[in-house]
Amino acid sequence: MANIEAQADRAIAPAPRWRELWLKEDWWAIWLGLGIVAAAYVLFAGGGSIRWIAVTPAKWTTLSQLGSHFAANYDRYLAQFLVWLVVFSVALTALGHKARAFIPSFAILYALSVAIFALGQWDKASTYNLEPPLVALVIGLALSNVLGLPRALDAGFRVEFYIKTGIVLLGATLPFTLILWAGPAAILQASIVSVVTFGVIYWVAVRLGLDKRLAATLGAGGAVCGVSAAIAIAGAVGAKKQDAPIAITTVIIWAVAMIFVLPFAAEYLHLPAGVGGAWIGTSEFADAAGFAAAQTYGNLAGHAAVAGTSEQAIFAYTLIKVVGRDVWIGIWAFVLAIVATTQWDRIETGRKPQAAEIWWRFPKFVIGFLLASLLVTVVTAGYSLADFNKTVVPSLVGPVKDLRTWAFIFCFLSIGLTTRFRELASAGRRPFLAFSAGAIVNVIVGFILSAIVFASHWENLTP
Amino acid sequence: MIGRKRLVAKARPAAHRACGSCLLFRNDAAYLEAAFAGLTSLSSAFGSTQSDDGICLLHDRVLSARALCPDFSPADAG
Repeated sequence: MANIEAQADRAIAPAPRWRELWLKEDWWAIWLGLGIVAAAYVLFAGGGSIRWIAVTPAKWTTLSQLGSHFAANYDRYLAQFLVWLVVFSVALTALGHKARAFIPSFAILYALSVAIFALGQWDKASTYNLEPPLVALVIGLALSNVLGLPRALDAGFRVEFYIKTGIVLLGATLPFTLILWAGPAAILQASIVSVVTFGVIYWVAVRLGLDKRLAATLGAGGAVCGVSAAIAIAGAVGAKKQDAPIAITTVIIWAVAMIFVLPFAAEYLHLPAGVGGAWIGTSEFADAAGFAAAQTYGNLAGHAAVAGTSEQAIFAYTLIKVVGRDVWIGIWAFVLAIVATTQWDRIETGRKPQAAEIWWRFPKFVIGFLLASLLVTVVTAGYSLADFNKTVVPSLVGPVKDLRTWAFIFCFLSIGLTTRFRELASAGRRPFLAFSAGAIVNVIVGFILSAIVFASHWENLTP
Repeated sequence: MIGRKRLVAKARPAAHRACGSCLLFRNDAAYLEAAFAGLTSLSSAFGSTQSDDGICLLHDRVLSARALCPDFSPADAG
């Protein structure tokens, strides 16, 4: 590699950051999520509700029941499809995508999502483990890897955008008081696991002879937020271009495997829903994959050996993963940039790490998640528990939760539809071994913290 | 030709010699998603965590748009 001279003493003026407000999907997830929550509240305050548009398939036993449901509600599904189509088209067009490519792709995604959602509402679905996240993932993987899909269709399969929008909507269903109560433990647990996992991956990778920058990229992928963290750290430390795809492949293989393994391992171990959600939060690598696993485990709650509620699994997962792990990516990037430029090679990127990087890389959608939670908590503070359950839940929180579920299904399906195993870069034996060592330690330490040290905390997580 | 560009680059203020203004730097999100196989499966190049990072075509590195380099080739010099 040609040498890139050090000019670390020259601070570089950043590009105007306010442009991010419409050029980054995090902010668009906030605008869409908070827009939906605000609209829901305005209607609720006026005596109405967004319930009509937030239609979901009803529980069914026979196909005729299902047919009757769709016959009676087809106009609601059509309206919901159009609303999603318009808001997503506006956002993605602003981000630089082509609406012409997005529209047919999203139409396919929505149609498949309706079918998957409906299948999950079958009263025998749990008997056959037909949990919507897993079904969405399997169908998506089959379509993209066996049947093969035109790449142009990827325009509508925006995994990260859907999950971020869903997380902002999730904020509206999670009391802010619960975040304040459970947040510190989540941050502590997540921090312990993140530091240990990063340390193991980095140490093993370096011992195996891998470049320190690749080791750091792999470590962040396992310790913080999967692919997003790996790419962010690659940029922060100036990793080689080929390092990023290695980390991406490794994270995807482990994350997809964990979606199927963790929920059933937690069920086998008889973990309560909140404990299982916390374990998944510490042991999964990417937000989207983790939500698929946590949603699956939540769906198992209430039957089989899983005690607790579906929401406990989702909330515990969210607190650990989003509040506890994701928000630290900027700090990881800043610290590792300092280490890379001062300890590894002589500064190669000619860049002086700036503390502002912590904010620049902050996953902004978390702000939307917190604001949505705060907004709904404040406006419903005057309701008694009985009135909350009788009025607020069916007219405000419930419909937002249903729209959240749709956003998550779009995401889970998109994971499968965009994961083409044959197109992934070869990870190589040593990077895979290093990452696997960290993943195994991650699962063990996460289990000890979730199911033993903080067990009562997560078990009693009650909205 | 490269030598002339280097001289031009040296004469510019630091902010203008940053990778973000270089002919050999790509940080368009669509380009990054095409360059990194599998990126969109569990992530995206449009997210805040990516900041303004991109790829240096000369050094084959993932770099911040604020990195500096003596091989800078001004994008506006074509």
